[in-house]
Amino acid sequence: MIKSLSLNQKLGLTLLLGLFAFAVLVGGFSPYTIDEQNLSIRLITPNSDHWFGTDHFGRDMMTRLASAIVLSFSLGVFCVLTSSILGVTLGVCSAWAGGRVEQSLDVLVNILLALPGLVLVLLLSAIAPGSFVVLYFAISLVQWVEYYRVTRAITRTLMDSPERQVSVMMGFGKWYQFKRHIWPAISSSVFTMAAFGGANAILMMASLGFVAVGIQPPLAELGLMSVELFPFYVEAPWVLMQPLIVVALLVLGFHLLAGASRESLNSTH
Amino acid sequence: MIWELLRKRLYQLVLVAWGVGTLTFVLMRSLPGDMAYRIAASRYGQDNVDSAAAELVRQELNLDQGWLSSYVNWLFELLQFNLGNSLVSGLPVSETVLHQLGHSLLLAGFGIALSICIALPLGTWSAKKGGLVNSIMVWFSTCTRAMPVFVLGLILILLFALEWPLFPVAGFGTWQHLVLPSITLAISLAAVSNRVVYGSVRRVLRSPFYQFSRVKGLSERQTFFRHGMRNMAVPIVAFIGIQLVSVIEGIVMIESLFSWPGVGHGLAHAIFARDIPVIQGCALTMGVLFVVLNGIIDLLCYWIDPRGEQEQ
Amino acid sequence: MTELSYASINKKKKLKRGILVATVIAVGAVIAFTATQKSSDQTVPTKANTLSISGPWEISSLDPSKQGYILTRMQVIETLLNINSKGLITAGLATEWRSSEDGLTWQLSLRKGVTFHDGLPMDADSVVQSLEFAQSKHGTLNKAEVVSIKALNNEQISIELAKPYAAFASLLTNYSNAILSPASYKQDGAVETLFGSGPYQMSSFAPPHQLTVKKFDNYWGQKPSIEFATYLTGHRAESRILQAKSGEADIVFTLEPSMLGQLDGSNEVQLYSHLVPRTMFIKLNAAHPILDDIQVRKALSMGLNRAAIATNVLGSEGSETSQLMPSSMSQWFVEGIETNGYNLEQARDILADLGWQQGDSGMLERDGTPFKLTMITYADRPELTTVATAIQAQWAKLGVELKVDITNSSMIPAGHKDGSLEMALIARNFGFSGDPLPIMSTDFAHGGGDWGTMNWNNAEVDSAITELVGSQDPERSLELSQQVAATIYNEYPVLPISSYSQHTSVNKRVKNFQFDPFERDYFINQMEIK
Repeated sequence: MIKSLSLNQKLGLTLLLGLFAFAVLVGGFSPYTIDEQNLSIRLITPNSDHWFGTDHFGRDMMTRLASAIVLSFSLGVFCVLTSSILGVTLGVCSAWAGGRVEQSLDVLVNILLALPGLVLVLLLSAIAPGSFVVLYFAISLVQWVEYYRVTRAITRTLMDSPERQVSVMMGFGKWYQFKRHIWPAISSSVFTMAAFGGANAILMMASLGFVAVGIQPPLAELGLMSVELFPFYVEAPWVLMQPLIVVALLVLGFHLLAGASRESLNSTH
Repeated sequence: MIWELLRKRLYQLVLVAWGVGTLTFVLMRSLPGDMAYRIAASRYGQDNVDSAAAELVRQELNLDQGWLSSYVNWLFELLQFNLGNSLVSGLPVSETVLHQLGHSLLLAGFGIALSICIALPLGTWSAKKGGLVNSIMVWFSTCTRAMPVFVLGLILILLFALEWPLFPVAGFGTWQHLVLPSITLAISLAAVSNRVVYGSVRRVLRSPFYQFSRVKGLSERQTFFRHGMRNMAVPIVAFIGIQLVSVIEGIVMIESLFSWPGVGHGLAHAIFARDIPVIQGCALTMGVLFVVLNGIIDLLCYWIDPRGEQEQ
Repeated sequence: MTELSYASINKKKKLKRGILVATVIAVGAVIAFTATQKSSDQTVPTKANTLSISGPWEISSLDPSKQGYILTRMQVIETLLNINSKGLITAGLATEWRSSEDGLTWQLSLRKGVTFHDGLPMDADSVVQSLEFAQSKHGTLNKAEVVSIKALNNEQISIELAKPYAAFASLLTNYSNAILSPASYKQDGAVETLFGSGPYQMSSFAPPHQLTVKKFDNYWGQKPSIEFATYLTGHRAESRILQAKSGEADIVFTLEPSMLGQLDGSNEVQLYSHLVPRTMFIKLNAAHPILDDIQVRKALSMGLNRAAIATNVLGSEGSETSQLMPSSMSQWFVEGIETNGYNLEQARDILADLGWQQGDSGMLERDGTPFKLTMITYADRPELTTVATAIQAQWAKLGVELKVDITNSSMIPAGHKDGSLEMALIARNFGFSGDPLPIMSTDFAHGGGDWGTMNWNNAEVDSAITELVGSQDPERSLELSQQVAATIYNEYPVLPISSYSQHTSVNKRVKNFQFDPFERDYFINQMEIK
């Protein structure tokens, strides 16, 4: 299976595995914890005790980054899964069913789409304050829009294609038709969107941090870390750089893995 | 055909306006905690909020009124195009929304326009050259995309407001204030849209009809303008349309970094304050805007490619 | 559909032209939109004639009872009485004030020759009207039981109280009791157009971010020399400090201490740090099953390394305090109290003596209940979040598991009222009306109040405060306040952390900058700009 991957994809996979291995190793062997403060050594530059330096509370940056990679990564995946499943399912259903179903689904979806995403996220976070999972769930509710639009547009053109018509006439089930005709057409777009989706979720967390939503000390999350460390951009730019670089690496890894060569047409935000 | 499209959109508009307003109303009402305290905190500031203030607010605004009657009130007022007054400032919601949404639209419009100016040449260039140029663009786009907008904005401020004091750091009111925030927005948007342009251009450049027109003897320029442009434009316009819609409320970070009085920040504060009329007003206006913008995009796509494969 | 005819090509050309025209109109409208922000008065605000001020507070309403603090600072509205930098009450729109022997009637003589911004002269009726509206809204006037406000003649008013209230004069210094022209109010008392009496009048107002004021030539006092002043809300401390650095904002208030280093080398900007009567402390529920023991509260207090928080988290060395009031409030400040009080070993011993043992997870337990508390705080003041994080880590060393919940400031009075609050980290301004007594009497006596103690009862403190409220004898008042302050220190109903400094940057082009520790006034009318 590895062999079928292109060079870029291998690179991407290596990058992601590397990050993950880093997180697991550091998490296992680090002598520090994410919430252990030492105010007398705040914002120090990397040294032999603290390989990545410390943050504004004197917490070990390497340990925090490792924990943030795991948390942000898993929440990002959760977010991508939720939004893509929701978006693809509804998109396919809407284009497939047609008629009344499509119309009523369209009305419902349009109302949901027209509801500002920020309102939705903030409202959900107000219903369950301080829960990261709910926040990410809310973010995926905003992100499914793209999947829905793209899937519906592509599916629609496929419905009338001779290939599928033949499948219908031959009496194949709906699942088979989906697997055989629709999924191959939409999968590359979906993968590309998913590659950016996780990173977008992390960035969206950061933007929520800007309006003081989601901050839950002492947990480490990449988006919120960058907001927390932002005030120290002059004093300790290297500390601020760290979560940013990790997010960039994550995006790059996913992007390469999804296949930079198979750029989809309507997607990627 | 066009009238049919417009009629459908108008019908959709009414439905969306009602739906969004109702949905926000229901969600807001189901939030935990005492609304009166929230409103009082935003009205009087954190130094001056106490139970007495909350009690005063409760009586003044008649917050004990039941769900149904306040919803019916809202709907009735809406039919007369009256969005009510803010619970916090007492100002008419329409004024607040106009001020904030106006500024957001201004910023989003300029940002998108600038991003097109950046993304089109870059995307086309990397599609035509391919190879190394394209690889560099991929890396560059990814890194820009992965950087939170506030870091980008900060770099721009440090460069163009402090190192070379050309533009103001923050604020609003003059065109100079618009420059840095819209460039920040443009760069972050272009990081994605240049990839879309790239994909679209490449698809056309490789297509048989494009190759054929070169073979039949048209110059590269002629081919590009005669056969390329329109075919490339549809997905790009559609994508930029999506961007525009999502950007209007998604620029909270830029707004708060540049002290820009936009709707994102306004919405966040209104939700913290449980300022229901403002949230409903904002959500409703943005919903309407969403439908209108979508309509415009559909029309534009239809105009570019009258075969009408976008919307049946 | 794909058929092409000349007609359709023509139609398309028209459409193209139409879109072109529409674009031109849209661009024109945008330019007009940005241009109309300036009014076409004789003088317009420019960099040269405008003092620009930047701060973190939003202003969404012109009603003095709401964000009146910005309006008094920008010198649009004035109060009957003022406070000087030492905390003493001075004349404002009233020149004399005195109470009757029994303390039930206050008589004030109004200043002559005061004109509102709409040209009307200030008379007793307008003052009475303003105060009556203030009474009907949220504000300090309701702290005393006001029975009636009357005009005695054109220059004097009298206020009747149901009970003596020694600090009544200080209540009148609060922004919520500002005096406005009768034309400012609508029937129901809502403020429509603001006409105050200060040296500056409203010029433009763009809620919630910007307020521009213009000098008022008929001001009764020192006439201003700067033509315009503008206030801009800057949400992020990062951008505010850059505004100071670039010279775009002349005065920037509430700079983040951790960023002050950025302004060090600047020869454009002068930096000021002033102590303000604000204290950060932990409010705790003294009826909570864990916290109802004074020894537990003492141990928690000892577990706080206030000096480390002050120096490293707040970035202002020496601001740590273990008593409620800052030294500037000398009447309530007890001399000779240790400011830090950090002693982790002793704190552990105290808790161990009380039966709190380390459980399997390293956290304390007693009879199966973990030592677990929730502390809420609010995001309006970013330093509260960071300090809460530091406290969380410091108490973890004691074996205390603290959950920090960042929420809205209103959750503190709400949690106090319904009794659900366990702990809250808050920052309280004791200079709200000059004299801290109004705050002490509502928040720290008789079981506590929204922003003070909670379920803590001390008969001595209660009776001392009751006496203080009616007392007219300065020496007795001093003795009583000292007693209250010492008791609060000894019984730990709240755990003070640090006092506050206001860091302000002032551009060198501004002359005669003066800071008001009570943050009531920016003294713009005394300033000059080059």
